[in-house]
Amino acid sequence: MFQNRAEALALALPAAIFAALVFIVPVLLLLSEGFKVAEQWTLSAFVDFFSQPLNRTVFLRTLKLGAMVTLVAAVIGYATAYAIVSLPAGAKGRMIGLVVLPLMISPVARTYAWIVILGRTGIVNQALMAIGLTDEPIRILFTETAVFIGLLQLFLPLMVISLISALENLPRDAVPAARVLGANWFQVFWKVILPLTREGLVVGGTLVFTGSMTAYITPAILGGSKVLMLETLLYQQVTVANNFVSASVIAFILIIMSVAANILLKRIATARNRT
Amino acid sequence: MSDASYLFLDKLSLAYGKTIAVKDLDLNICKGELLALLGPSGCGKTTTMRAIAGLMTPSSGRIILDGADITRVPANRRNIGLVFQSYALFPHLTVFENVAFGLKLHGLRGEELTRRVEDGLETVGLAAFANRKTPELSGGQQQRVALARSMVMQPKVLMLDEPLSNLDARLRLEMRTELQRVQKESGVTMIFVTHDQVEALALADRIVVMRDGAIEQIGTPEEIYNSPVSSFVADFVGFENVFAISDGRLSTKDGADIALAGTLPKAKGLAWRPRAIELGTGPFTGVVRGVSFAGGTREYVLESRFGSIKAEADAKLPGYPLNSELAFDMPVAAAAPLQRFG
Amino acid sequence: MTQRLFAPLTLLLVMIFLIGPFFIIVAASFSAGETLAFPPEGFSLKWISKVFIVESFRQSFAVSMFLAIGGTLSALLLGIPASYAMSRYKLPLSETVRFMVSAPIIVPGIIVGLALLRYFVIPIGLSITLALFVAHTALVLPYAVRVVSASLANLRSDMEEAAVLLGSSRLGAFFRVVLPNIRGGILAAFILGFVTSFNQVPVSLFLSGPGVRTLPIDMLGYMEIVFDPSVAALSSLLAFLSIGIVFAAERFLGFSRYV
Repeated sequence: MFQNRAEALALALPAAIFAALVFIVPVLLLLSEGFKVAEQWTLSAFVDFFSQPLNRTVFLRTLKLGAMVTLVAAVIGYATAYAIVSLPAGAKGRMIGLVVLPLMISPVARTYAWIVILGRTGIVNQALMAIGLTDEPIRILFTETAVFIGLLQLFLPLMVISLISALENLPRDAVPAARVLGANWFQVFWKVILPLTREGLVVGGTLVFTGSMTAYITPAILGGSKVLMLETLLYQQVTVANNFVSASVIAFILIIMSVAANILLKRIATARNRT
Repeated sequence: MSDASYLFLDKLSLAYGKTIAVKDLDLNICKGELLALLGPSGCGKTTTMRAIAGLMTPSSGRIILDGADITRVPANRRNIGLVFQSYALFPHLTVFENVAFGLKLHGLRGEELTRRVEDGLETVGLAAFANRKTPELSGGQQQRVALARSMVMQPKVLMLDEPLSNLDARLRLEMRTELQRVQKESGVTMIFVTHDQVEALALADRIVVMRDGAIEQIGTPEEIYNSPVSSFVADFVGFENVFAISDGRLSTKDGADIALAGTLPKAKGLAWRPRAIELGTGPFTGVVRGVSFAGGTREYVLESRFGSIKAEADAKLPGYPLNSELAFDMPVAAAAPLQRFG
Repeated sequence: MTQRLFAPLTLLLVMIFLIGPFFIIVAASFSAGETLAFPPEGFSLKWISKVFIVESFRQSFAVSMFLAIGGTLSALLLGIPASYAMSRYKLPLSETVRFMVSAPIIVPGIIVGLALLRYFVIPIGLSITLALFVAHTALVLPYAVRVVSASLANLRSDMEEAAVLLGSSRLGAFFRVVLPNIRGGILAAFILGFVTSFNQVPVSLFLSGPGVRTLPIDMLGYMEIVFDPSVAALSSLLAFLSIGIVFAAERFLGFSRYV
């Protein structure tokens, strides 16, 4: 369409230059800091980072929470998406709207609500004490559980939406056909639904996993300094310890894990599809 | 061919990057002519059309229109109309506004504009639809709007890209007549691009058959239909049985040489339409591998020494059942001699 | 049949989990008590009205509004021409450009913010406001490009060629034919960009400074010091604002078609 290369370049260049200057170059420079000690290229910063038990804990916790949130979101997501897809058109639209709605609300506001629910005088503790399960309020806030709940609520909609579009593309008669052939619900899911919606699951899974791993607000509010994740640790390293080398090591790990999750999940999707 | 050359393509070459689409094309088009560019997809016909319109810059060669070299004139100053295959109407504008689009750009306003647009819509029979949005119209109506939009500009050349391919059979006939009428009434030079030989034969004054970026044959519909110069054209216009000649004998695809009765013309190949094959008598035998009833005729596929032969016989005659053996002839006098083969 | 009950029950529980907390903060913001609690102690509008009185909230609200509107507009100004060039010019080059402008979506916001601070803002000596403005533009750019590209992809390029053949210049064809037909996409991109920018925290974390903070950052800071329902009130107001905008957008232009 464009014969004139210069014309196309002139249109695209401002955005490209902008992205390069304010994003690509600064991020690359930041990442390079992690590989440099006293002007020498080295991996010692990474060795140092992982030699500290706290950092190892935070790293493993971030991975664990990311994986757990993804797994639970997938299980709940399938049930929810399947229930929504089976609804009549009008109700389906409204339900999808309700699922998407939280995504439009400020994550600060959404996370804040959990303080009211999980706090010392929160609903959960009040209920537990009322039925006599505990005399003292138990600590839920600033535990991994709180962070897990907050992350799950934050990212579940992304999984549900991905699975809804995957389920909607399911061949209309696939499930009834499998039922007629005598498959039970577990077999239907494992042999029919899962293989046919794998791509949606991968899309949703990638969004939820990378989202959970790189979330800042939820661990900051619900985990505080007791339950650090990589992002909150990075913030602490910069603002408290003034340790920029360690910050760029964390940045590098976060980016690598996001990219790795992306590639790995894509691999799983395509590899299984071929067989 | 005519000294009244109006549009002249002089050694025109066109390329997409390194891929050459059209090479050294020479073509003369007369004023008021209705010309068809016919060929399979990828033959360069659409590229040639886009170059004439100015949507593509030639890598070499010239385009002369009405005595002026327009090779480097930008598309918006050529005044060449193009009716796109998709019609390319502006969906945010009404029918009236679509037709008025070009006129407004040329400074027309007020009553003059209204009159010209209404005349244009009148010509294509859409005066009643002026205030509709274009997506509400049927395919046929959309095409008429596109036609009117180009015609009100009084273009020097009007080009149409596959004008009938998106229409159903009934509309196709209607539109064919309509296009011919508009062309005769306005006297506009019209070029249309098509891959459909029936369309080209029915509509055009002259047909240019293209292949691999070059012209294969130019001629009237009768010439193209009756006397294809090459096996490619013969294939394209429905000679189902096309054979090469070597040393005065017919050679089949399997490499067999077969002698025919009578003297062969000086040619590289021979081509028979299915109805030129005589069934029931003759020196050759074949087995019926396919029969289909096509209204007035029956179409046969015969397996023979020539390979697969397509033949046709009047449906009133008794049919030959599947797998029966029958004699047939391929009379040299009924064949079209081909000057080029392959 | 258990299955009959299973589906509605799942939906109910999931919806309570997803939407329930939102109702709780709305209820908490009408509390008459001094601390955050549910069920709220009594009913009053004092925390809602406090939101409008606190000076820092008013300031940071203005900052966030400016960033969301200004950042999104400048992202569109950069993104529309780039999307147009990419959709109408098919070469490896356009893939590189697409990668460059959509990269900020892949990298966690906190890293973008830190990198920008250390290797752009400080070396150049940008003011805090300008730094935030540039960051929010970069943040919204991928969304702008994605949504606008999608609506350009639905627009056949032969429409522009038709306009050119009728006498229009290329630029004229863009304004007369392309722009009117992607208006909906641009508006959708604006709304998506606005909501994204307004709710964004990590990118602004390091870039906010004394006197100039975005509203969510201000809320985070306030929460650490004061434990009263005003943040709940503010959260519910913001939530209603977002919902209102998205609802109106869906109503009037079928927002979800573009996103």
